Amino acid sequence: MKTPTAYTRLTLLAAITAVLLPLSAAANEAAFNPHQLYEDNCASCHGSDHGGYLAPALNADTLKGRSPTALRTIVMAGSFDTLMPPFYGKLTDDEIRGVIKHLQSTPKLPNPPFTIDDMKASLKVYVSDESKLPEKPAYAIDNMDDVIGVAARGKYGRGEGSRAIFINSKTHQKIGEVPTGTAAHIIDYNPANPRWAYVKTDTAEIFKVDLYSMQAVRSIKTGWNGPGMGVSRDGKYIMAGSFVPHNAVILNADTLEPLKTFELEGIDPDGKQVSSDSGMIIGTPFADIFAIALENAGQVWVVDLTEGFPVTRITDVGRHLHDAFLTHGGQKLMIASYDDSIVAAIDLKERKIIKKLEAGCVPHVGGGSAVVVDGRTLGFGTNFGDCDKTVVSVWDLDKMEVVKQVPVAGGTESPAAHANAPYVAVDIISKDRRARTIQLIDKKTLEVVKTLDVGGHAYFPEYSADGKFLYVSAGYNGDEVVVYDSTSLEKVASVGMESPAGIFSHGRVRYMTRGLSPDDLAARDGGLPGAKK
Amino acid sequence: MNRWLLLAVLSLVAHTAHATSIYAGQARAAAVCSQCHGIRTPSNDSVFPTLAGRDADYLKTALEQYRDKTRKSDIMNSIAGSLTDDDIANVAAYYAKLKP
Repeated sequence: MKTPTAYTRLTLLAAITAVLLPLSAAANEAAFNPHQLYEDNCASCHGSDHGGYLAPALNADTLKGRSPTALRTIVMAGSFDTLMPPFYGKLTDDEIRGVIKHLQSTPKLPNPPFTIDDMKASLKVYVSDESKLPEKPAYAIDNMDDVIGVAARGKYGRGEGSRAIFINSKTHQKIGEVPTGTAAHIIDYNPANPRWAYVKTDTAEIFKVDLYSMQAVRSIKTGWNGPGMGVSRDGKYIMAGSFVPHNAVILNADTLEPLKTFELEGIDPDGKQVSSDSGMIIGTPFADIFAIALENAGQVWVVDLTEGFPVTRITDVGRHLHDAFLTHGGQKLMIASYDDSIVAAIDLKERKIIKKLEAGCVPHVGGGSAVVVDGRTLGFGTNFGDCDKTVVSVWDLDKMEVVKQVPVAGGTESPAAHANAPYVAVDIISKDRRARTIQLIDKKTLEVVKTLDVGGHAYFPEYSADGKFLYVSAGYNGDEVVVYDSTSLEKVASVGMESPAGIFSHGRVRYMTRGLSPDDLAARDGGLPGAKK
Repeated sequence: MNRWLLLAVLSLVAHTAHATSIYAGQARAAAVCSQCHGIRTPSNDSVFPTLAGRDADYLKTALEQYRDKTRKSDIMNSIAGSLTDDDIANVAAYYAKLKP
């Protein structure tokens, strides 16, 4: 070890003094980098480019004229009925003041790059020899489809509480927890091999998880922010898309190595050339393709999983596209347009728009749901209802027409259905006591028949693979997943975790869209690769 | 004698039932306390103590002290200041009954 010189000793002394002595704000600002504080505490929700993501944009423009004192109170105490946590005790008062000053003087950054080389450099290998992993689950489970994964955000969107938590949906016991560093957002399962799950975080990191030994084996960062992710039907490819920057990437699902990136840009429905956030990305049992929504460009791209990954662009789908679900063996894609308040039906074989259907107000279909009732396939779509039309849309997916708009108590975000469960569950998200509740729509009468008071901010309902249990996240300030009997609607269990959000049943790989029966699908569509024979 | 005892017990039960409401406590806790303290547990990453399962009398005394500022904390003095006697009793009863 080197002997400290007089100079370094002096620096050390100055540093200790800086920590010990009460200092003026000016002197303290030099002690931390406010942009780094923003990136380390705020950016996973508010966007690395200061342009907003799950949470509002924080920049000189959006915060113009806002009182620094009022902003400081929000940062310290959190914001009620949102995911904004209290930073009291986590950041010092000087740090909070420094970040606010920084935000009020920083413009939105122009699409900060994250290249294929950045992705390659971020690849981490936690288990180098996967052949040494156990050959079967290291815990008791009848069928891997009984695994339910919960994206636990963690109260601060990062840290100890941020995990993918896996539960046996027959016993309601946790079977594994995989720390993800920042908030887990999406969990997908490999349709070809039941042992692999993929977890994507709000900071665009993807973890390849071995469900048998319940650990991450590899991870890669694919951008700054963005939840979009899909897995191909053969389980060989993953496609991931980002809000920041505006790109998408195809990865080798085995090694997570990036194969090709795509710049997301195009002409929007109003004729303007725009750079675009990535919306949903979906693999389909219908073909070796991915479909990706370009939110701002209003386009859906179909990417063939062949040499060079060629792209077919479907334009003028709708303004501000977001999420989607599949029907008809995965040949048809139902995609929501926030600003046009429609859901567009797209034929992935012909690669064209079939029809645009009315969809309430600011449709957010979540994972969507479809059920077969009296020979008809009915699709269910939720919507935020920001313009007071709080309905759940029901469409006949064979005829592609609106059957009914079912009035519900407020805005909704995600419908859950199961072939064996009598009700379609929707989460009420309106910002008051209603946010505690889930409403149940009878599949046959298409009326709301029951309201469950779950607690917290109840959202993302999901049925177990056998349809016997309904799982609901009591998120935000709530800290549990609550389990109900699907028929009696009695509460049967509670599983504790920090700020749970999306719930993803492993059964999804078999029924494609929640509510469809794998057997019906197999019979009707000649046997899907993902369907159990 | 027994009759008097029964009457006394009954009136005590009735009084307790009237004085505190778990449901009112739940609503108040969700609106005021859970942002920091969580419902069953606060965040592992935070500095806030767990309230679930704590002794009701302890919680009640602490909240009263924060409210009358005999116990100092910038943040708790201002939050407890918004609570009525009933709120404090209800919130304390609610958290005491929860399992962390």
